[in-house]
Amino acid sequence: MTALGPIPAAATATTERADWVSTLSLPGPERDRALRDLHQLLVHAARAQVHRMGWSTRGEADVDELANQAADEALVALLGKLHTFEGRSRFTTWAYKFAVLHAANAVRAAAWRGREIQLDGLELLPDTAPHPGHYAEARDLAEVVRRLLGTVLTPHQRRVVVALVVDEVPIDVLAERLGTNRNALYKTLHDARVRIRTALVAEGLLEAPTGGAR
Amino acid sequence: MSPRPLGPREVEQLTLDTEPWLSCDDCFALVDQYVEALLTGDLIAAPAMRAHLRGCPACAEEADTLAHLVAEETGQDPTPALTLLER
Repeated sequence: MTALGPIPAAATATTERADWVSTLSLPGPERDRALRDLHQLLVHAARAQVHRMGWSTRGEADVDELANQAADEALVALLGKLHTFEGRSRFTTWAYKFAVLHAANAVRAAAWRGREIQLDGLELLPDTAPHPGHYAEARDLAEVVRRLLGTVLTPHQRRVVVALVVDEVPIDVLAERLGTNRNALYKTLHDARVRIRTALVAEGLLEAPTGGAR
Repeated sequence: MSPRPLGPREVEQLTLDTEPWLSCDDCFALVDQYVEALLTGDLIAAPAMRAHLRGCPACAEEADTLAHLVAEETGQDPTPALTLLER
């Protein structure tokens, strides 16, 4: 047994089955059995994610409930995309990622439930605590980056990057609060980083990219 | 509202080079193959995937768990893959 907990015995016997997709696609007792096995695997993966995020302190009953709910949601999502599985990875690896995603989202949502998220995004100060190494340079760079947050980013970019990076709001939680999705917020963060880096290059504080970067 | 610090970690995250661009959806589509490749040492050139996992803590956290799960199931040592995931 590892830190993740034992792999379900019933599921282990079927993890190497080559016909997951066809079995899951045809109604009948074989499909029902495969669905049960698959659900066990998804619960196992969801529990692993829940434990790795420190949620186990909430007690096993809470972990079980959250893991089972995440597995249920993952199973629905997986079955909806079953036709897209191309066998480029093991089926179980492909399946696990659905459970991990849904469990992670559930833990993050639970951890932030009821917590206020500030979306004004500007009252920032450079960290004045001493740091090892190039203290003065680090502080100077922090001051420049803080200024750039206020000058080169749009208000929406500023709100998003401050919430994600400074306040460490999980991206799914912020997406839910803003009525958007992880993809859109990551694009906003990416574009903001490009703007900040471009400005740093223009100010001579960062080397120009040698290729690939905009 | 109280001022919030902008320390080295935040500065590093705000100035990360996350090119080439890859969306979270595309990362999710590829992460199973990517993790398996890392575990088998059959390292594929995937600069966009690496850049995304550096810049998206949520996707990186999920990839890390996936590596543990696959390593557990296949009896592999996850350490080299996890080291590569954290670069």
